[in-house]
Amino acid sequence: MAVTGAATDIASGSSHQRRAGLGPWLFLTPMLGWLLLFVIVPTLMLVVVSFGERDSLGRVIFAFNLDNYVRAFDWIWLRILGVSVWYAFLTTVICLILGYPVAYFIGRSDERWRGLLIMLVMIPFWTSFLIRTYAWIAILSQEGLLNALLMGMKLTSAPIGFMYTPFAVVLGLVYNFLPFMILPIYTSVEKLDGSLIEAAYDLGARPARVFAQVVLPLTKPGIAAGILLVFVPAIAMFAITTLMGGGGNPTIGEVIQNQFTRARNQPFGAALGVLLLILFIFSLWATTKLRRGEEE
Amino acid sequence: MKTKLPKLMAALCAGALLLAGCGKKDDTLRLFVWSEYVPQAVIDKFTEETGIKVAVENYASNEEMLAKLLAGGGSYDIIQPSDYAVQGLVKDGELQELDHAKIPNLKNLAPEFRNMPFDPGNKYSVPWMAGFVGIVYNAEVVPGPVVGYRDVFTPDHAGRIVVLDDAREIVSWGLVTEGIPINDVSSANLAKIRPLLADWLSKVKVYDSDSPRTPMLSGDTDIGVVWSGEGALLFEENPKFQWVMPAEGVHMFVDNLAIPKNSKNKDKAEEFINFILRPDISKMISDDFPYYNPNAEARKLLSEDQRNNPASYPPGFDVTKAEIFSDIGEQASEVDELITTIKAKSN
Repeated sequence: MAVTGAATDIASGSSHQRRAGLGPWLFLTPMLGWLLLFVIVPTLMLVVVSFGERDSLGRVIFAFNLDNYVRAFDWIWLRILGVSVWYAFLTTVICLILGYPVAYFIGRSDERWRGLLIMLVMIPFWTSFLIRTYAWIAILSQEGLLNALLMGMKLTSAPIGFMYTPFAVVLGLVYNFLPFMILPIYTSVEKLDGSLIEAAYDLGARPARVFAQVVLPLTKPGIAAGILLVFVPAIAMFAITTLMGGGGNPTIGEVIQNQFTRARNQPFGAALGVLLLILFIFSLWATTKLRRGEEE
Repeated sequence: MKTKLPKLMAALCAGALLLAGCGKKDDTLRLFVWSEYVPQAVIDKFTEETGIKVAVENYASNEEMLAKLLAGGGSYDIIQPSDYAVQGLVKDGELQELDHAKIPNLKNLAPEFRNMPFDPGNKYSVPWMAGFVGIVYNAEVVPGPVVGYRDVFTPDHAGRIVVLDDAREIVSWGLVTEGIPINDVSSANLAKIRPLLADWLSKVKVYDSDSPRTPMLSGDTDIGVVWSGEGALLFEENPKFQWVMPAEGVHMFVDNLAIPKNSKNKDKAEEFINFILRPDISKMISDDFPYYNPNAEARKLLSEDQRNNPASYPPGFDVTKAEIFSDIGEQASEVDELITTIKAKSN
């Protein structure tokens, strides 16, 4: 049987390479089917629609014209994209600064505690992110908990408008994406060989140098994965930015969402989506390079 | 050559639908309605009285509903389009004509809702709820008097304003202020109101169509332009939240029930429409969603407090004077671009 054959090959680490039989492909079928149905087909639909037109009720008319792309390069949309990328960049940097020490601490802590600590990082996922975002509104609003605390401690006389500001947007994004930075870095730190660090100290390196020349390079794959997991979804995020930012400073995610709903212009929304996709592929390429750089 | 995409979409989606299992039974009445608009109690009571099972799907905007309905993604028996969406659907022949003999409770509708411009004589649609867009302000902070839009977007209120996150709405306020009919959204008129809207929107703190009362309640804004239902809920919460019908002109929206052309349960759908037109049932809807009830008989059953809520039933306001949106078709995209551009620039 092909399946067992392939399995024993792996198990015995056979010296002669046999061609992969049907077995591995059978194992891969669910994943390939998933990719085809939920990644490749929707992406193709997006591309097809992006060249189309629409009728008065917003129905897509299949055609081939580049108008949507021409319009997408208008400065106003590029500016909105710029703002979104800036928010995502800030979010990624803050998540990295906050997340790295946490991941390092958990990864280097006693094995007995690691599982518990990682679970604490994941617990927020038990609640929908929308509900958690609404909780922030209750905390940050003018009659919210934070202002009540500040005024109770006489630190401020009038309530501070934390909500509906860029500060609130970035806070919401950092809060929601932080675990996605911690988890991959943690995986890298956990795999880190402690004896390498000891060796560095034995050879007279100071802590800063050990970190810069041993720990950081070895955890680079985790950092790259974390950056990708935070930066890419943060660009396109729309629910949090609308709720926390008040919708006054549209992000590209909000604009695209609008095209598919109120603006009745799916083809234009699809064209913006395709541009975003190209940006994502570029990010993937850049972070892969970062990871590769470590291996060389 | 141009082909309508739905067929292609349908072919592509076939696999996904197979996975989801399309074995839907025909005896279920399938509702496709706004989220937070049809009380579960009403649906339960309908099933209890008639034995007809009801399945509900929700949407958050007319356009979302149109997109899904017209792509043929699901077969629905009842949809809940607003005025201009009814107009567009009727024009394209997407709705079934109602059999008035099966809907005797139509007589309960107030006369002014029997002959709406988007569907004269209720040929295709029956009003569910109506409402207005108006001004709400916190009288403890805003001294007033507030009579119209110009009193909202003043320098005093800069950074303390909430408005609906809806480009068509915002544009309509600019149009009435300039004395232009709200449905006249030609490119020339949009260009004309642009400076006014740019000035107004630079003072806005929050855009929210789903729950604009939230920033009012939390004290983050003092004044706003919101749905009357939101104004009514704020007034119920605290009478310091005053409601004003804008002097420049009032937009009234009318949400309706209608039967899409591919429904195979027309009889049951008409039974449902007749059911919600019953005064006691219609009152249940008013209890949960304090908009303007087009059902005159149901209004008689409302409590004193409900009827005296100035946002639900603005005293002395003649609803026939209100303006109603008509379908603007492709211009929707330009309206959206105008507001998005102003928002992005003012930051």
